[in-house]
This record gives sequence, structure tokens and C-alpha cells, in this order.
Amino acid sequence: MRTIPNSFSNNHSSSFRDPSGYVFVDNNVLKRAVLPKYFTQYNALKSSGFYKKVIKHGLLIPHNESKTTKECIELIPEEIPFITYPYEWSFSQLKDAALHTLKLQKYAVSNGYVLKDATAFNIAFHRGNPIFIDTLSFDFYTPDSPWKAFKMFVQHFLSPLVLAHYHGPTILKLLQTHIDGIPLSLTTSLLPRKSKLNPTILTNIHLLAKAERKYKNQTDKKTKKIKVKKERHLNHLDALYSFIQGLNVNQQTEWANYYENIHYDDTALDFKKNQISEWISYLDLKTVVDIGGNDGTMVRSFSHDLDFAIVGDIDENAVDLNYQKIKEQKDANIIPILLDILQPTPALGFDNKERFSIINRLNKCKPDSTLALALIHHISLSGNVPFLKIAEFFARFSNYLIIEFPNRDDKMVQLLLDQKRDFKNHFDFYSEENFEKDFCVFFDIKKRVAIPKSNRILYLMEII
Amino acid sequence: MIVLYFDPGLGAMLVQALIAAAASVIVFSKNVKAKIQNFFSNKKVEKPNQDSINIDEDENNS
Repeated sequence: MRTIPNSFSNNHSSSFRDPSGYVFVDNNVLKRAVLPKYFTQYNALKSSGFYKKVIKHGLLIPHNESKTTKECIELIPEEIPFITYPYEWSFSQLKDAALHTLKLQKYAVSNGYVLKDATAFNIAFHRGNPIFIDTLSFDFYTPDSPWKAFKMFVQHFLSPLVLAHYHGPTILKLLQTHIDGIPLSLTTSLLPRKSKLNPTILTNIHLLAKAERKYKNQTDKKTKKIKVKKERHLNHLDALYSFIQGLNVNQQTEWANYYENIHYDDTALDFKKNQISEWISYLDLKTVVDIGGNDGTMVRSFSHDLDFAIVGDIDENAVDLNYQKIKEQKDANIIPILLDILQPTPALGFDNKERFSIINRLNKCKPDSTLALALIHHISLSGNVPFLKIAEFFARFSNYLIIEFPNRDDKMVQLLLDQKRDFKNHFDFYSEENFEKDFCVFFDIKKRVAIPKSNRILYLMEII
Repeated sequence: MIVLYFDPGLGAMLVQALIAAAASVIVFSKNVKAKIQNFFSNKKVEKPNQDSINIDEDENNS
């Protein structure tokens, strides 16, 4: 192979679409390069005080200029410890990301600029709030011009939100198979007829889809003549904002009443919280990933001393509840994520390198401890995954593992075994002894404590 | 103005003026409705405590 000829040799594999610049990693620090093509815009955004203002209002990630040459301006943005993708967000997260984008567009237009793109990947959740992370997404606003990123906004935000309103939050996973947003034709085919009675959906989705179909094979000779008055565009943004703000999704949850419904009396739950809290402070752990963390109730009992806690769950509503609590209680160090451990988020995009898999991101982030509480019986009995494979998986990203093992007398374990019917005997291996034997291939068991008034054992393990 | 790296969609651009006009009607009619409700109601209809699209220039969120 010959040497890669240009600056793209060290750029971040997610960053190649926009020619204004690119993101790269330099000595483990994420940096953004601004290319000469974008210098005029960048200098105007800087000298007009626009960057300062959007950063002050919490709309854009803060950055520092680290180097300026004729060929490139280097920026160091504030570090975000863990990036979650739109297809790992709950309904309310996507909704807040959409509102944030509209807010930024309105503010930009009012200041003489415009968002030139509106992909959901330009938003990250940082300290509990959505924030815009693409510093080079702004361009000058040409008076009375249409918003070129409008279709992108509809495909990335409005369409999935409206679909989830009618079909439940599971449909948001469509964003995983369509990383450029859900095609308008697919959205209209999935929406019920009654959605046409809503003027916002009728115009912004159905009419838009029809127009796109009609002009599909035409190039834009006419676009210079198209005018959308500034006042009307701002009204359009207001209308979209208020419509999205009012959108909701109704669906019963699998786990949202988990702590009210099952398995634990208060003594056992308090014991578990205190025990984990004690281990975490004893070992001085600063970062954790809770796989199967429900709405974050457990993590909240010790999160005050942590730098951050990634809290994953398979249930969209539990993740949503967690996000709502983060907003209410201002839990800046909790990062909610939709996570199905039997089908973890894969790597996506060009060369499978544009969007990273969850395993890859956890490997890079290396949380001090992995938490797997009331989870292993679901992986083992519902997912049929052998203990050894689960142990190998948990040994991937952290030095410590805090894991809870419910034995065969536990009610949930019994239910899961009974559901196996004729296949039940296949799970005779499910015992404390086998669990410990297989996990000891990868871990040393440091502590082993029976949780009172339950049939569960809590383990602290350290990787060998 | 720099060149876009994606296709904004000709249909989307052409129809946007119409959608924006319709949105203006929606916003206008909502405001009128709120004013009428306020006029006939003894209690003022207060807007729920929700985030606004407008930025308060004095507020510091960073």
C-alpha cells in the first residue's frame, strides 16, 4: 500500500461527509480541523460573537482554538465522555434533540446564520442535556431562502417521532437501519390515514413526501427562484416546535414498575444498594456501566461519587423514565442508553466505521466496573447463552464486575424455567457452582454476599 | 454560501414555502384561540411551564 496522501490519514472514521473540516484524534485528544473552504464562515461566526453566544446558551459544545495556520484551524471541543447514537435514545431524548435543533436554527436565523444540515448525529447528550456538537454546521443565511436542511430534519427527527406516536417507541429502531433518516416514502406508508387530519403531519410529512416523489428525477434549476420569507420560516419553526413539544407516546412498559412489582422487599433492596455503594467507595471506582440498569434507581444510590454512570436497558420506557429523572433531578453524570445485550448496537455506515458498535465504545471508554444486577438469568435462561460466554463478555471492558446471581429458588428464575416447558432439563446447569466455576475462568471472586430475604447472591469480581 | 454535501431535495425546497405558509396560519390561529380563551375566561390561561424555542439573551446555560 502506498502512503495515504492527504490529511485524511488521521481523521476520525465518522467524519468525512462535510468538506468544511473534519474531526481527528491527536494524542488521545479529539480535535476538529477547519479547512480553508470554511474560513470565511468560521471567522464571521467567531468575530460576530455568535459562537460565544450559542455556547453561553448551552446550544453548542464549547471549543478552544489550539492552532491556526494557512491550511487549517484546529479546535479542541469540550470532551464528551460517552457518545450515544439516536437509535440508542428513548422517545423523550429524540424529542429533546429535535427541539434543540429547532431552537438552534431559529437562533441562528435570527442572527444571520442558518443550520446547513440537521442530522440527529449532530446532537449528543452531555451532562444530562442535548447539545449540538458540529461546530461547522453553520452557514450564512441568505434572506428569504428556504431551509435546505428541512427534509433532513423531517427524516431524522419529525418522522421517527410521529411514527413512535402512532406505533410505540420500538419503531425508533428504524433509525438504526436508516442512518440518513427514515425515507419519506416509508414514513407515509407506515402512518395511519387519520394522521392526514393533523395539519402539521399532513403538510410536513405527507405533502413533503408527495413533492419529493413528483420532483424525484429533476435537478434544481429552479431553486434560486424559491423564496420562503424569513418571518414565515420562523413561524414554521415555531409551529414544528410546539407540535413536537406536544407529541407523546403511549405504551405499557415491561420494567418501568419493576421496583414496585417484584422480587424484593425493602430490606433486600436497601442491603443491595448499601453493599454495592460500599464496594464502589472502597475500591474508589469512578466510572461504571450498568447493563440492565432499568430506570437508574440502583445507580442513583451511589452515583454522587462517580464521574459518570452509563445506564443501559432493553426497555425503551425504562430508558425514557431514566432520562426524565435525569432532567428533573439534574443528574449530570448519568448517561441513559437503550441496550439489548442479546443484540447489542452494531457498527454501521461506510466501511462499518462511521458509527461504532456499543462494544467498541465501551472498550474505548473502559468503565472501572461493569454492573450486572438481576440480569444473568435473563441472558442465560431467556437467551440460552452459556455462563462461560457471558463471563467472557463481561470480562471485556472493566476491571471489576459486580454481578447478582439469583439461584433456582428465585421466583423469576422459576418462572423463566417453567416457560421453557419440555426444554427445561436443558437448563440443569443453572446453579451457583457452575456459575462460579465458569466465571472463575476470567475473574477472581473477591466478595460473595447473600442478599437477605431473597434467593440471590451478590458478587464482587476482579478480572484475572 | 458553501456547496451542500447532500441533496436538499427539489420537492422539499419547492413545497417549503407552502408548508411555511400553512404553519404561519397554524401559529396565527393558535394565538387567536388563546386570546379568545383569555378574553372569555375569568382566569388567565397560563402557558404550561415548558421550554420555549426562543432564547432568553440574559440567561446563561453553559
